Amino acid sequence: MNVDLSAAVAQTALLLLLAPLLSGLIKNWKAKLQNRRGARIWQPYFDLVKYLRKDMVISEHASWIFSVTPGVIFLTALSAGLMVPLVTANAPLGLFGGAIAVVGVLALGRFFMALGGLDPATTFGGMGSSREMTIAALAEPAMMLAIFTVATMAGSTNLGQIVLAGQEPGWKFLDAPHALAFAAMFIVLLAETGRIPVDNPATHLELTMIHEAMVLEYSGRNLAFAEWGAAIKQLVLMALLTNLFFPLGLAPVVTPAALGAGLAFFAAKLLILAGAVVLVEFTNAKLRLFRVPDLLSAAFILATLALVSTFLFR
Amino acid sequence: MNPPATEVASRLITLLATLMLVFQLLLVVQQMLIANIRLFALQSLLLTGIATVVACAYGAWHVLIVAVLTLLGKVIFLPWLLQRLVRRIKIEQEIHPFVNMPASMLICGALTVLSYVVARPFTSLARLGSNTLPVALALLLTGLFLMSNRRKAITQVLALLTTENGMMLAAIALTTYGMPLVVEIGIFFDVVVAVMVLGILVFRIRESFDSMDVSKLNELKW
Amino acid sequence: MLLTSLLLIPLVVALLCLVARQRILLEALNVSGFAIGLVLGVKLFRTVLAREGAAVMEWGEFLRADALSAWMVLLISAVSLATALYAVNYFRRDLAAGAVTAQRVREFYVLTPLFATGMLLVVLTNNLGVMWAAVEITALSSVLLVALYNHPTSLEAAWKYIMLGSVGLVLALFGTIFAYAAAASPAAGMALPSFNWSSLLAMAPQLDQKLVKLSFIFVLVGYGTKAGLAPMHAWLPDAHSEAPSPTSAMLSGVSLKIAIYALLRFHILTAACLGAEFSRHLLLGFGLCSMVLAGPFILTQKNLKRMLAYSSLEHVGLICAAVGVNAPLTVFGALLHMGYHALTKPVLFFAAGNIHQHYHTLNFRRLGGGLAHIMPATALALGVAAVAVSGLPPFGLFVSELTILAGGFASGHAWVSVVMLVSLLVVFCGVLSKLAGLVLGPPRADAPPRELVTAGRVAAMSLPLVVLLLFSFWVPNPLRQLLERAANIIRGTP
Repeated sequence: MNVDLSAAVAQTALLLLLAPLLSGLIKNWKAKLQNRRGARIWQPYFDLVKYLRKDMVISEHASWIFSVTPGVIFLTALSAGLMVPLVTANAPLGLFGGAIAVVGVLALGRFFMALGGLDPATTFGGMGSSREMTIAALAEPAMMLAIFTVATMAGSTNLGQIVLAGQEPGWKFLDAPHALAFAAMFIVLLAETGRIPVDNPATHLELTMIHEAMVLEYSGRNLAFAEWGAAIKQLVLMALLTNLFFPLGLAPVVTPAALGAGLAFFAAKLLILAGAVVLVEFTNAKLRLFRVPDLLSAAFILATLALVSTFLFR
Repeated sequence: MNPPATEVASRLITLLATLMLVFQLLLVVQQMLIANIRLFALQSLLLTGIATVVACAYGAWHVLIVAVLTLLGKVIFLPWLLQRLVRRIKIEQEIHPFVNMPASMLICGALTVLSYVVARPFTSLARLGSNTLPVALALLLTGLFLMSNRRKAITQVLALLTTENGMMLAAIALTTYGMPLVVEIGIFFDVVVAVMVLGILVFRIRESFDSMDVSKLNELKW
Repeated sequence: MLLTSLLLIPLVVALLCLVARQRILLEALNVSGFAIGLVLGVKLFRTVLAREGAAVMEWGEFLRADALSAWMVLLISAVSLATALYAVNYFRRDLAAGAVTAQRVREFYVLTPLFATGMLLVVLTNNLGVMWAAVEITALSSVLLVALYNHPTSLEAAWKYIMLGSVGLVLALFGTIFAYAAAASPAAGMALPSFNWSSLLAMAPQLDQKLVKLSFIFVLVGYGTKAGLAPMHAWLPDAHSEAPSPTSAMLSGVSLKIAIYALLRFHILTAACLGAEFSRHLLLGFGLCSMVLAGPFILTQKNLKRMLAYSSLEHVGLICAAVGVNAPLTVFGALLHMGYHALTKPVLFFAAGNIHQHYHTLNFRRLGGGLAHIMPATALALGVAAVAVSGLPPFGLFVSELTILAGGFASGHAWVSVVMLVSLLVVFCGVLSKLAGLVLGPPRADAPPRELVTAGRVAAMSLPLVVLLLFSFWVPNPLRQLLERAANIIRGTP
């Protein structure tokens, strides 16, 4: 199988364009639930354009790492996105790596983000980085275990293979290990995208903020890429969640009809998942920071149980 | 061998049962009392779903009555009752368990694996959804653990109710079509009355002790 | 109609008490209801005997009474009647002293018949699921009775009782469900199998053996908790000591035995499916464990009613162990022992209730001694019942304990009998030394004045003792037949 250039371009475009829309959508729904009018769903695009046009202010104590970080975040998120099947069952860069590569590339981006937070030596950045790494240390194993569960069921760590195995008749994905792993992944998603029980994405002024604390020193173009990268990462994780656990409707062949159907299914699944995220954010209060490890340990145990149960059944 | 509809029903039951387990584990980590009650309501809703699937897929219509009773009793009435109780006696929202959260999660995980292992020889019997028996046992064991790990009277009641959810799951799924209607109704009303009696006791304990911390009930020894 | 009316009478009494206004009416309703119940119980006893082994059934097969049930019905109705008679004077005095409100007394008179209804339903129903529900009814009605005084300690006791009891009952229901699943599993087709004990017993050899085993373990732990078997007995001394004395008498006199009865039904079923070895060894182990454990607690006990509760633990253990030995003589002895214990224990609790009302404490040290001077009638009843409950001749408990021990030696379970004998001796020493000090020892300087003896109180207290003495010397032939038949049912030998 060759790397299909047109597919890669198309998926890149989809990732770049869809990611801000998804963020805007979630913000808008949340506002509606809170009885506010809320920003338009297109607002993140305007924000990005605005950031791109503005000047940058860079601390004189900052090293080259500070300037490189937004690019790394953006590129790692994008390349992870190219390894995940979005609309078709085969991802453009699926050949280069499976589930482990996706997790690894995302971890690289996170590593740089933490460095970027530390680099200008402000108090907030350091706090954000240390918190981010604490959470990551718990969230990543849970994510790996959850993905391994699905991989064990499918007999391959290649995401395309996993998706195809799930598409076999019989709805195999309605299954105890899958359900447990899905629950674990959902909690991980909330943690990784800085959603409410873990982090509050709607504030820049809280002592307990995590993601916002790390990007606090960025401005202008750097901020645009950091935010865009974060939005893409969110889209990638959500796509991973929907397509791994509910591989319905992914286009098995590249025909316009199949692609259209695939796109429609993908959008519908994303909307449902986004709705679930919004509901969780709406109904829960932010956890105290010391309680976050409790939640993530729950995810970890769920993922472990999922993996164990793949061996105990059958 | 099975018709496809049965197959899908069986998968759905397994899925819903597993989700019940997920909610049980979330109950273990959740620290807020009201959220605990809501999680219990959701878990009972899943139980209702299982009963409905069983009723529809196998034409066992008396199970539908069980589903309706569960919906009215465990999803609506009991959570309402408990929430009202919580409001009336104005207790502190946060739960302070004896064992901290990660440790209790590990214990619950171990208990779940244990119940998987125990139930293994019997899984072939549970013809509706292969995993309902281990899930039922896991609900029982983690429920018992929750009960001993919580100080507040109401949370102990909730833990008891989750074990009862596990029991209903076993009753519906393990025995193919649930039990005879008279038994199911008897069990249901007993559970409801039990919670009301417990509510009365909680109220009186609160009045006498000025607290719902059951670990303060330690006057009687030997 | 007989079984139905047996169930309906206490239920109707409870409902009437809910609306009755005067206290005297409540008392009369309770006493007369239970008196009718006893008459019907005797009638049932005769009917069952006349049936020559066949069970009495009503409502299709929903209600069923064989020799075992008939015996339990007799115990329940006798103890309830004795309790109702004693409760009249007990609560009048409590009301006069302001220890309870009129509302609470009404609660007692409503809940006690409900409690009795639940117990009767346990022994009369044929359906194992309904049996579970009925046990739960007894637990729920008695827990409010335990909390009747609304003291902090009684609330604590009630809370422990309901929590442990509910856990036990959830486990028991799991076991019940497993038993049902065992009937549903062997290629029975799509038909809903019957949940009746009798039909399960009829198809016992075809039941799924693994599930039956699992079921019995769950039921043993579950109903065992309700029966107060060690090590699940933590609630028992609390609930027995904090409840009002009439309720303690009911709890100890019959409620524990009802749980044993439920356990026995499963034991019979399991034995029919797997052979007797599996379940009888478990019963034997738990029974001996309870007996051995009770001794030290009695020796070191500081509270009169708690000591009585531990003595109940001892006797429940003895009954279980005797069934576990599974020799004809021991099972017969166990059934006989149930009856004698049910007549003796309430008297002890009644006496303890009188003492509490007079001294306002049950602590041995604060009670001091000299009960024989201060409360002569109560002291006499207490002393006689204590001698009886320790298993001294000429009382029936001596006979039944001797029967059990002899049965154990004869059937090659010598070590079991030795363990029983040793723990009985420990309890004997404990109970008699404590009570001898209380009754005969020197009174304290601050002891309350001499009790005014009223005929009603003495009669209510001594009536069971008279019956006990009567039956100690003379077990009528029909009763012996009934017990033998019940023992055969338990042993699975028609």
